[in-house]
Amino acid sequence: MKRINLKENLVAYSFMSPALILLGTFLLLPALMAVYYAFTDYYLLTPQDKKFIGLENFVQLFNDPVFLQSLKNIFIFVICVIPIQVGAALGLALLINKNRRGNLFFKVAYFSPVVLSLVVISVLWLYLLNPSDGMINAILEKVGIEPQPFLTSPDQAMYTIVFVSAWQGAGYQMLIFLAGLQNIPSSVYEASKIDGANNWQNFLHITLPLLKPTSILIMITTLIAAFKLIIQPMVMTQGGPMNSTMTPVYYIYQTGFSDRLIGYASAMTVVFGILIGIVTIIQSRISKEDE
Amino acid sequence: MSKPIKKAIEYFSLTTLACIFIFPLIWMVASSMKPESDIYLDMGTIQSLLPSSQISQWFQTYMELFSRFNIQQYIFNSISYAAVITFGSIIVNAMAGYAFAKFDFVGKKILFWLLIALLIVPVETLIITQFTVAHDLGILNTRLAVVLPMIANMFFIYLFTNFFKAVPDEIVESVKLDGANNWTIFWRIVLPMSKPAIATVGTLSFIASWNDYLWPLMVLTDTEKFPLQVAITNINSTPPVYTNQVMAILTISTIPLIIVYIVAQKYLMQGLGGSGTGIK
Repeated sequence: MKRINLKENLVAYSFMSPALILLGTFLLLPALMAVYYAFTDYYLLTPQDKKFIGLENFVQLFNDPVFLQSLKNIFIFVICVIPIQVGAALGLALLINKNRRGNLFFKVAYFSPVVLSLVVISVLWLYLLNPSDGMINAILEKVGIEPQPFLTSPDQAMYTIVFVSAWQGAGYQMLIFLAGLQNIPSSVYEASKIDGANNWQNFLHITLPLLKPTSILIMITTLIAAFKLIIQPMVMTQGGPMNSTMTPVYYIYQTGFSDRLIGYASAMTVVFGILIGIVTIIQSRISKEDE
Repeated sequence: MSKPIKKAIEYFSLTTLACIFIFPLIWMVASSMKPESDIYLDMGTIQSLLPSSQISQWFQTYMELFSRFNIQQYIFNSISYAAVITFGSIIVNAMAGYAFAKFDFVGKKILFWLLIALLIVPVETLIITQFTVAHDLGILNTRLAVVLPMIANMFFIYLFTNFFKAVPDEIVESVKLDGANNWTIFWRIVLPMSKPAIATVGTLSFIASWNDYLWPLMVLTDTEKFPLQVAITNINSTPPVYTNQVMAILTISTIPLIIVYIVAQKYLMQGLGGSGTGIK
């Protein structure tokens, strides 16, 4: 048996201790506390009255119309934003993957929204999308389209947030796709040209298959990030109108922080956290099989 | 299709797309540099993307904003939070990465596995119990509460571990024979050799801390401790709300990020998957 070197262990753990203490306090402990509180009726202002209530929170949760609505909303958001954002990123990357005059300007322009924080884009678009005196409706009016309610309509609000989010994120993924495209050796295209393939065939049979690993990576990170949507609805719509933009993380925030119902919010954390965990595992399985 | 026409169509679509992506940013800066009434007068015209025709009015809004709100304080807060978090996260995560890369210790495999598993935990869903932990520690409404949870990061530890593994063991061993202890080796040899990893982690954690909104909003109650991101929504909801002043604070909070993206662009691609997926 290998002898345990006491000094080496001591040094290693002292090097790790700041990170371990911080991760333990602000990540592991909160995760464990959430599981514990989920089975209690903990109200922040009366911690001494906290008691074990079994599955009551979970029963209430699955009968809570706002929570169920928030789950439906986040699925709509995820299903819409992934193809739009990733599609836009791929399209833009293909468009600028070429040597031409002014290409750098276009690249910078497409990337520019990435530099803005989520709070900044949310406030900015709130003004641009103002139904009565916003820029977008002023432009629509010029081209003969009647003004739209956007964020003030329960039918349009979530799709507006989808657009704003995709607009902000596409530029970053464009760069990742671009790196992927530049890794494809030009000799591959030259060979297929000799075989008489046209541009479309090239795209379908060379570019797309070779971009697959990049696409999967982008899809996974976008998907997991999309599930955690909160800042845009929080700043732009406060979850409204009529809860049409309420998301699970935002509802956790409202119940736990604004209403101080720690127990109930923790139950939501557990349910939604497990849901994201399952999605993550399924996603990584799929991507591993592909490789 | 003839070649010039094809080229014209190509440039037309490139330009149209560029307008869609960049016009909000231009409108934001332009609107901050003109009187309130001009913003609505210009709406929908090309003037809406240009600052006021009188140069004397360009910084008028900024002066009004600085006199109404304590903007210097917010800027100072944001910079100091970002500086502490960036510096702290480089040191703390590099130390942990060094231990994983260069030491054999009991529980190494389990610990590393645990860290990877924590990577899957959706941190944003834990905000409520993170808040109760801060509450129980009695650090609510302190600057410490803003920075502490942002420092340690599994992704950065992972990044440093991989980087340090590439540092040859012989170098570390030979310095050790010269009598240097691990602490000296870490500071004098290993850290200076890992400038690319430091730059990547530094850039990513600066951007993340500069943009952080939800956590400071939750833990801080005193206005004078607010970072810029929280100040934005505060200014946007303190009547009377002036559009040009809101655009001015949005512009102010964006300028440091523009600088960081320009200076550190080559390090950003390595943070792939760490942050900046657009939707956070």
